[in-house]
Amino acid sequence: MKELEKVKRISIASTLFILAVLIGVVTYERPKNMYTINTKSTLEKLTKNDYLASIDNIHNENVSLIDVRSQYEYEKGHLESAINMSTPEILSDDSQSILKELKEDNKTVVLYGNNPQESNIPFLLLTQLGYDNIKLLNVEISYFQNQLVTDQIAIEKPIADIKAFINESIKNSDTGIEIDNNKPAKKIIIVQKKKKKGAEGGC
Amino acid sequence: MVKKKVAKVLSFRYKILALIFIVLAGGLVLLPKHQKQEGIKAEQLLSNVISPERYVSTDQIAHKIINQDPSFILIDVRDSISYNNYSLPNAINIPLKKLLDKDFEAYLNQNQFDVIFYSNDNFYADQAWVLCNRLGYKNLRVLKGGMNRWFTTIINPVKPNDDVAAEEFELYSTRKAASMFFGVVYPDQVAEQSDMQIAAPKKVITVQKKKKRAAEGGC
Repeated sequence: MKELEKVKRISIASTLFILAVLIGVVTYERPKNMYTINTKSTLEKLTKNDYLASIDNIHNENVSLIDVRSQYEYEKGHLESAINMSTPEILSDDSQSILKELKEDNKTVVLYGNNPQESNIPFLLLTQLGYDNIKLLNVEISYFQNQLVTDQIAIEKPIADIKAFINESIKNSDTGIEIDNNKPAKKIIIVQKKKKKGAEGGC
Repeated sequence: MVKKKVAKVLSFRYKILALIFIVLAGGLVLLPKHQKQEGIKAEQLLSNVISPERYVSTDQIAHKIINQDPSFILIDVRDSISYNNYSLPNAINIPLKKLLDKDFEAYLNQNQFDVIFYSNDNFYADQAWVLCNRLGYKNLRVLKGGMNRWFTTIINPVKPNDDVAAEEFELYSTRKAASMFFGVVYPDQVAEQSDMQIAAPKKVITVQKKKKRAAEGGC
C-alpha cells in the first residue's frame, strides 16, 4: 500500500513537471526579428568591403532601390523606382515582408539615404538579421534648382593629411626653431585580469 | 496476467522517467539559433541606433583633451598605417577588423570611461558602435565627422566672413587656439611658440575589468 502511494506521488509529480516544461516551450515568445548571424561574422562581412554599389550599377532588373530617408524627403524627390522605407520603420511588419519578398526573388536591395552614413545604419541592422542581398549606394544627395542630384563619393576617404598640414604650418611660420611633433604619447594601460572565483555553495 | 505486465513495466519506471528528463534536457541544448541571438534585441538596437545621442562634436573632444579630462578613452578604428601617421593624442588603435578580439574587450566593455570611436568619417566608427552596442557595452560614443571634421574644424578652422555674428568669431578664435595646442603654428603667433613646445602630458589609463559579483550563497 505504501509502495503504491509512493508511485502515485512520483507519477503525479513527474506528469506535472513535464506538463510545465511543455507549456513553457509552447508559449515561449520568440522575438519578432531574430538575428541570424552573430557579431563576429557580421564584422567579417563588414571588413570584406563588398557591400558598396555605385550609381552605374543600379539600372538593372535585379536591383530594387530603397530610400531610407523620411517620407517627407522621399516625396520631395527620390531616385527612379525607389521604395520608401525610413530607417525607424525598417523592422515593421510591412517593411520586413517587402524585404523578405525581395530576398526570395533573388533581388539585390540597394539602400540609399542623404549620404552613406545615413544608410549605413539600416544596412547594418538588416545584415545582422540575415539579409545578405543588401548593398549601399555610395552617393550623396543634394538638390539643385529643385532637382535631385546625386554625387558619387568615396567612403572614409581622408580629406587631408593632417600631419603634413601641421608640419607645413611649422615650416611656414619661419621661426627656424625645430618643433617636436606632438606624437601621440603612449598610454600605459593596465588591464586587470579577471580572477576566477571559486563557486560558492549554497549551504 | 495484466497485473504482472504492469508490474514489469513499473519496475523500469525510474529509468523511463530519467530517460524522459534527459530527452527534455537535450531539447534545451538544441533551442533554435541560441548562439546567434547574442546581445540586445533588434528592436532595442534600432531605437538605440537612430538616436543621435552617441555623437560628440570635435569641439567637445578638443575641449576635453585640452582640459585633460580623464573620463574618456579615444579608440581609432582606422588601420595602423593611418593611425601611425596622425591620430588624436592618447588614442588607442583598434582596427575595425580586430574590434572583437579578446585583447581589446577590456577597453570596450567597462564602466570606467566613455569610449569614443572615430575613423576618417563616422562611417566605420558607426559600424564599430553598432556591434559593440549590440553586445550591450555601455558608454559608447562616436566622433561626429571623424578625422575629416577634426581637420576642418580644429586643425584648419576657416576664418568667418566679417558679416557674421560675433559667436562665429569667438568659435573661430577658440578653434584657432585649440589648433595651436595640437601643433599647428600660425605665422602671426610666433611669439607664443615657447608655450607650444610643451607636449601634451602623458595620460596613464588603467582599465579595470568589470567585476562579476560572486555568487552569493543561499541562506
